[in-house]
Amino acid sequence: MTARKIVLTSGKGGVGKTTTTANLGATLAKRGKRVILIDADIGLRNLDLVLGLEKRIVFDLVEVAEGRCQLRQALIKDKRFESLSILPAAQTREKDAISLQQFSAIVELAAEQADYVLIDCPAGIETGFRNAVGGATEAIVVTTPEVSAIRDADRVVGKIADEGKPIRLIVNRLRPEMVRSGDMLSVEDVCEVLAIELLGVVPDDEEVIDTTNRGEPIVLNDSSRLGAIYDKIARRLEGEIVPFTNFDGQGFFGRLIDALKAG
Amino acid sequence: MHQTETVQDEVQSGAPAPRLGRAIVLTSGKGGVGKTTTTANLGTALAYRGARVVLVDADIGLRNLDIVLGLESRVKHHLLDVLEERASLDEALVPGKHSEFLFLLAAAQSREKDEVDTAKMKALISSLRERFDYVLIDCPAGIELGFRNAVAGADEAIVICTPEVAAVRDVDRVVGLLGNRFRPQLVINRLRPNLVKKGKMLSVEDVNAILRLPLLGVIADEPEIIVTTNRGEPLALRRETPTGAAYHAIAARVAGEDVPPPMPAAPKVTILERVGSLFGGRRA
Amino acid sequence: MPPLLLGERGVTLLRGRRDGLEVTLSPYDLAGGFAELQARLTEQPSFYRGSSAIVNFGAASPSSDDLSRLRDLLEGAGIALRGVAGFDEGLESLAEREGLAFESPRAELERRRAMRPREAARLSDAARSLVADFAGARDDIAQRRRRGEASVPRQQPDPPPARPAPALHAVEAPPTTLYHAATLRGGQVLHHTGNIVVVGDVNPGAELLATGDILVFGRLAGIAHAGAQGDDSARIYALDLAPTQLRIATSIAADAESKRRSTPVPEAAIARDGRIVVLALDRLGEVEDLGTTST
Repeated sequence: MTARKIVLTSGKGGVGKTTTTANLGATLAKRGKRVILIDADIGLRNLDLVLGLEKRIVFDLVEVAEGRCQLRQALIKDKRFESLSILPAAQTREKDAISLQQFSAIVELAAEQADYVLIDCPAGIETGFRNAVGGATEAIVVTTPEVSAIRDADRVVGKIADEGKPIRLIVNRLRPEMVRSGDMLSVEDVCEVLAIELLGVVPDDEEVIDTTNRGEPIVLNDSSRLGAIYDKIARRLEGEIVPFTNFDGQGFFGRLIDALKAG
Repeated sequence: MHQTETVQDEVQSGAPAPRLGRAIVLTSGKGGVGKTTTTANLGTALAYRGARVVLVDADIGLRNLDIVLGLESRVKHHLLDVLEERASLDEALVPGKHSEFLFLLAAAQSREKDEVDTAKMKALISSLRERFDYVLIDCPAGIELGFRNAVAGADEAIVICTPEVAAVRDVDRVVGLLGNRFRPQLVINRLRPNLVKKGKMLSVEDVNAILRLPLLGVIADEPEIIVTTNRGEPLALRRETPTGAAYHAIAARVAGEDVPPPMPAAPKVTILERVGSLFGGRRA
Repeated sequence: MPPLLLGERGVTLLRGRRDGLEVTLSPYDLAGGFAELQARLTEQPSFYRGSSAIVNFGAASPSSDDLSRLRDLLEGAGIALRGVAGFDEGLESLAEREGLAFESPRAELERRRAMRPREAARLSDAARSLVADFAGARDDIAQRRRRGEASVPRQQPDPPPARPAPALHAVEAPPTTLYHAATLRGGQVLHHTGNIVVVGDVNPGAELLATGDILVFGRLAGIAHAGAQGDDSARIYALDLAPTQLRIATSIAADAESKRRSTPVPEAAIARDGRIVVLALDRLGEVEDLGTTST
């Protein structure tokens, strides 16, 4: 049985796609799944950096596409997580170095040897985005609770919905105290606008910047708060019904449980 | 595009020669580092000083500059309407809410970046330079066609970077792509001094040890920024706030003033940094 | 149009399919491909007799003369040319004119996916034929550093190729030196037949590839590959050696430390006994038997 092929996308840059891809992938691997992460951001690759694997890159996505090496030679196994591998993007090329057909073919190949293939999508809605989405059969849209991010996410949801692929939402960098003071949109607000099934809510955490800089996904630490949250997201992805974390007792559940029932 | 007259002419005619405005692209490679916020705030600060400023949102399909300025409900025509001659520039330019000197040329929301003709974009920026002292171009994330079009019309660049390794790497790539035509200046955004002190965030020196660019300014991270972005009121409107003041200082430097600190202390110049800057062709 | 995934260069493939033979030719060298096909068919003259074949041209643009030659070639071995496949835009109409079936590359791709590739793809560049496995390497490097050595164990390629490695050809022209007086930014590359000198930094994400030596008068933080055509006497020098990866000929090494040292010391990297050894410049003289005169 081939893997689920999921693209993580957002439209707006900087909302945490790459960090989410890395952490979600690591979490799934911790749960015993075989996971392959593919960095589709050719020319601006970051997934390797976020996982601290940049020094082990020998071959990349474009070289696999050009037949200069096998997929298995380009895949880098993460020593910290049994069943996690990544296929890095090329740094010195442009996004048109690979066609949609080639990218899809590589995703298919990866899917034969994994349970999950997570594709880290570049920002924007140009060629890189189209290739990344084209290779996937499901999408997760990542957004922060800010107006401009939501607007961009909405555009992206529209584009993917046109292709009939299931889309789910992760709200990243929530700051409950700012929601309370009315200075940040609530999760309900976000769900209202985007109207797609909610997969998870990740609160803002100072530690993330540091761990990202050091190349250590935050879920490496078994007792981290975010680790528990990513675990819930992984379980929901697998089909379990997991209640959402109540961040500040604010009547959080109503609409979200409906969302769960809906999907 | 008319020629800039010489000083000689200026003296003879007795009237100041009309100068061509400066076209500055704000870019970063990585998304989410604060390009749009910086464009809006820098524009606001420059307009406050009496300069005529137009902000151009080059992020076709993912427009955001209008939101950050609180003008989203006032946009009647956008960049592509002008480029495709369905509207005149006057019809498309949206006056800023808080200044008579600030205008916005919004992006199109439901179009694609490959619908922009690079040559027409350059021509548009040229004509904007005739009417404005500053044309600030808000560049989309990435290094694809959208980026190339935004850069095409500009003759100066400001790169924006956050103190994170991924952002630094992307900005470095962009600086490389900008090539010899530009001598980009750097704005470091979202610094958290307490984290830097704890060793949990890159410092200004760490960032510029790799980028080696003249530093225009440093903006510390503040929750206020998100709030004001959501509300469409750039912090530069409030000069008394540290962030507002920082943007005004940046504006002053852009205008050529030699603004003294508070700026982060100059990095220690080691032999390598001297070598790097000397042979990199950058002069302070 | 770039070649399809798993394309193999310079090798003609013959595969059996349910509906006959499939011949894949190298898109880069049709004449060579034909010659090789001829040779293969001559080896086993009667094996394929009576079958029909689809010939896959990949990205090449065969002419109708090519097709005639091909037909004759095949008929000599008793094989009927049934159809063709490939990406070239004109191929489909050519096939129609010649009365041949045409297969779209997508069908081809699906068929390939259903088959496991039987041979390891041959890598075009001998210097890149290794897969670096850094299991334990970081600890090892740290220990060696503590002991005052600075070396990295070279890991075995996995698995060793079935055929002998392609012969390395000598560079015929005297090597020149590329002199680059500027910092290299992430994403920029310098590839040169000869030596490379950079006066400035090489930032992370930048790449230097030289058949000879590499000298960075500044900080080397990107990837540097010296002796790229197999010269393991090549060296890499830098005022501040803090690379993402170093490669000399067929050896690859990465530094275990990720922190920048506060007072960098000029160093050189050389290959010794299949490993990459990093030495402070003033210790270079102590290393014996480098095989070449110092430049």
